[in-house]
Amino acid sequence: MSRKQLDRILLAVVALAAFGLPLVVTSPTYLQILILLFFYAYLTTAWNLVGGFAGVLPLGHSVFVGIGAYTSSILTLQYGVSPWIGMLVGGAIAAVIGVIIGLPTFRMRGAYFCLCTIAFAEGIRVMVENIDTLGPLKINGPRGLLVPLLKDPTFWDYQFMSKLPYYYIILVLLILVLAFTWFISRSKVGYYLAAGGEEPEAAAALGINVANYKLFAMALSCFLTALAGTFYAQLMLYFYPKGLMGLDLSFEIAFIALIGGRGTIAGPVIGALLLRPLNEFTRIYLSDMLPGLHLVIFGLILILVMIYLPKGLTAPLSALYDRLARKITVQGEAK
Amino acid sequence: MTAVIQAALNGAMMGAMYGLTALGLTLIFGVMKVVNFAHGSLLMVGMFSAYWLIRLTGIHPYLALVIVPPVLFVFGYYLQNVVIKPVFKAEGQVREPLTVIIVTTGVWYVLDNLALMLFGAEYRTVRTAISNKSFALGEFIISIPKFSGFVVAIATAIGLALFMRKTKTGKALRATSLDREAANLMGIDQYRIYNIAFGLGTAIAGIAGCVLIPFYYVYPSVGVVFDIRAFIIVVLGGLGSIPGALLGGLVIGLIESVFSQFMASTWTEAIIYAIFLIILFVKPSGFFGHKQDW
Amino acid sequence: MSNILEVTNLTKHFGGLTAVSSLDLHIKTGEILALIGPNGAGKSTVFNLVAGVFAPSEGVIKFAGQTIHGQKPWDLARLGLARTFQIVKPFASKTVLYNVMVGAFLRTNSTHKAREIAEDVLATLQLDHTKDMLAGNLTIADRKRLEIAKALATNPKLLLLDEVMAGLRPTEVDDMIGIIRGLRDRGVTVFVIEHIMRAVMALSDRVVVIQFGQKIAEGSPEAVTKDENVIKAYLGGEYDAA
Repeated sequence: MSRKQLDRILLAVVALAAFGLPLVVTSPTYLQILILLFFYAYLTTAWNLVGGFAGVLPLGHSVFVGIGAYTSSILTLQYGVSPWIGMLVGGAIAAVIGVIIGLPTFRMRGAYFCLCTIAFAEGIRVMVENIDTLGPLKINGPRGLLVPLLKDPTFWDYQFMSKLPYYYIILVLLILVLAFTWFISRSKVGYYLAAGGEEPEAAAALGINVANYKLFAMALSCFLTALAGTFYAQLMLYFYPKGLMGLDLSFEIAFIALIGGRGTIAGPVIGALLLRPLNEFTRIYLSDMLPGLHLVIFGLILILVMIYLPKGLTAPLSALYDRLARKITVQGEAK
Repeated sequence: MTAVIQAALNGAMMGAMYGLTALGLTLIFGVMKVVNFAHGSLLMVGMFSAYWLIRLTGIHPYLALVIVPPVLFVFGYYLQNVVIKPVFKAEGQVREPLTVIIVTTGVWYVLDNLALMLFGAEYRTVRTAISNKSFALGEFIISIPKFSGFVVAIATAIGLALFMRKTKTGKALRATSLDREAANLMGIDQYRIYNIAFGLGTAIAGIAGCVLIPFYYVYPSVGVVFDIRAFIIVVLGGLGSIPGALLGGLVIGLIESVFSQFMASTWTEAIIYAIFLIILFVKPSGFFGHKQDW
Repeated sequence: MSNILEVTNLTKHFGGLTAVSSLDLHIKTGEILALIGPNGAGKSTVFNLVAGVFAPSEGVIKFAGQTIHGQKPWDLARLGLARTFQIVKPFASKTVLYNVMVGAFLRTNSTHKAREIAEDVLATLQLDHTKDMLAGNLTIADRKRLEIAKALATNPKLLLLDEVMAGLRPTEVDDMIGIIRGLRDRGVTVFVIEHIMRAVMALSDRVVVIQFGQKIAEGSPEAVTKDENVIKAYLGGEYDAA
């Protein structure tokens, strides 16, 4: 067995397991936890396009989740447009806004971009909280939006009676975004993004317009992030600015990426696999006893990983996998 | 009109507090090139330190100014030495240490939530001898604790600027901020300078904590209010600029206070962000920043 | 033989300081030209002006007959003007092959093709044994070579080499001289800034000497070293030392 075959078999096993998981996990509560886990893995993978590969640190991505959720929901509630269409409109708006943030900041020190993403996200959130109606659009201020439950929803309505379809939608979205990232990272765009992120002057001398490539990555990342916003709106059927567009979500995405491994393909998934259950568990079991303890643990894990594994958990895990794989393939050849 | 001027006066005094917070942030950024996301939390630590000191010993609030900042200097010094330095070293030659930014975020989470576990979420104030004192300036009323805070903020900024220019340590800080490789070659220990910068930034947060306590309430996430403003201020004033931090603080304080005369206070926050974004597009390097700041 | 680069009346002010003043120089296609001068003479500024990092205050820069001043570095790279940096700038967390592929992508969109180009360039520079190492772990000499390899992978017509010999041991300098000659034989015109006079003498067809941003001599290496102005300004002590 060659290494390539082993990789493929393993990937197939993981994919099959993911598709088959609902056969075992039937409780809606646990299914919901899995859905959210994939949701976070998806968001982090989208973030990683700009935060990982392009070497900058956006800390306001929740605003794009919000743009996705609001766009598709307003279109559905007021104009009867299917969320599937609204999702793409939201993505397009998010991409444009991402480019607007990037235009002045990508030519400057990374800290500016980082701070500006935060200020922009918070600015939009505060404005949404202050606006009840924007022209013909009902935004509903701090109360957020309620997507009414339909009696007989069809697929076109992006609403389902059970959790199962949501599970498969987010799983497919996650697989698509992972495949897309894999493709990008092996293409010219991926090489150019990494080069521009690491040494912008050297990259420019090799013919790379670094700011333009970052803008492209930002647009892609924001577009994909907004798609998840629509998914969230249709899953929860209710959202409000503080919960959806606050800094907590933005930071959690960045934490997952950094703990998992920034700029790697598996990093966001590994990070989400570790942090999401930890987050749910500590929140449920510890926050009653000692409010805040779960966030202390969260912060400590972050600090420890950054000190001891600055490249995230993916690096040692893939080294381990390499060792095991070598053993297996060598044994296979010996036989 | 009277009300607007009164609001402007109050805004300037509150703005000086924002500026004071931003001062520590800009100092740390200038030297280390790291946005310290834990800065608001350090302010919170300063406020709680002053709060408990005054509450338990009953000393005059401004006596705390002699005790709290030195304690916070030590705290900041070792925080950088133990938690942040290892990450810096791991990043090695990276031009801009973004991982370090994330570590400061971890510190923020830990500190804020430790405070939540220890002290609970309630808003606390401490009655001091000067809390409700004020004086009249013509037809305007000036609160004494706010005015003292204003004076202390200006004095701190001037003191810091002098320290950076006149003392050997200050010169080493500036040399490191200009070019850390060159400073290294001149025999300056980069990480010791970082410790000092972080310690000083934290001590300034301690000063801010002491002067805020007589008229502001303290709670575990109080830092976030100041954090977000301080971020905006340092970008407005130019990352790393001392006068920029103070001026940016005054601008934000004035806008916040004067606009709240005409509209709901939730809108003033939106306006601050809007102004911030306009400046970003018109003059992205801020009042005192350098143009292409690679 | 035509001139690949023509610089006329080039001037650059930084604030009140004039780093380069009314400089004229040209490079013929296929030659190796060295720009030398004492520290602070403005050599690196000339490079940065030609490479598009700064816009000149005055003057004209023509590359292959086209006026290029004011164009950005990435546009110039596309036109066929590549450069190395005095302080090397590898993509340190990536492998050597990855580094060179970044350069190679300028002429192709295919990853497969870029890898072929990169492997070819690495072989030319005798770096193929390091191709899977992280660029950050290379020795100084190999880093300097990698710097050239990245630039060469963009398939340039003119290559600006900024002190690629600095910090190398004598045998490594000899290797580097061989490599640079090899580049010229591949049809690349080479413009070097160099401090190590032995290398300048061995390599260059022509030498331009500047001091305080102005040209003080130009000619064959032998002629330049005999020039009184040059000896006075710079070479006297340094040449003996080197």
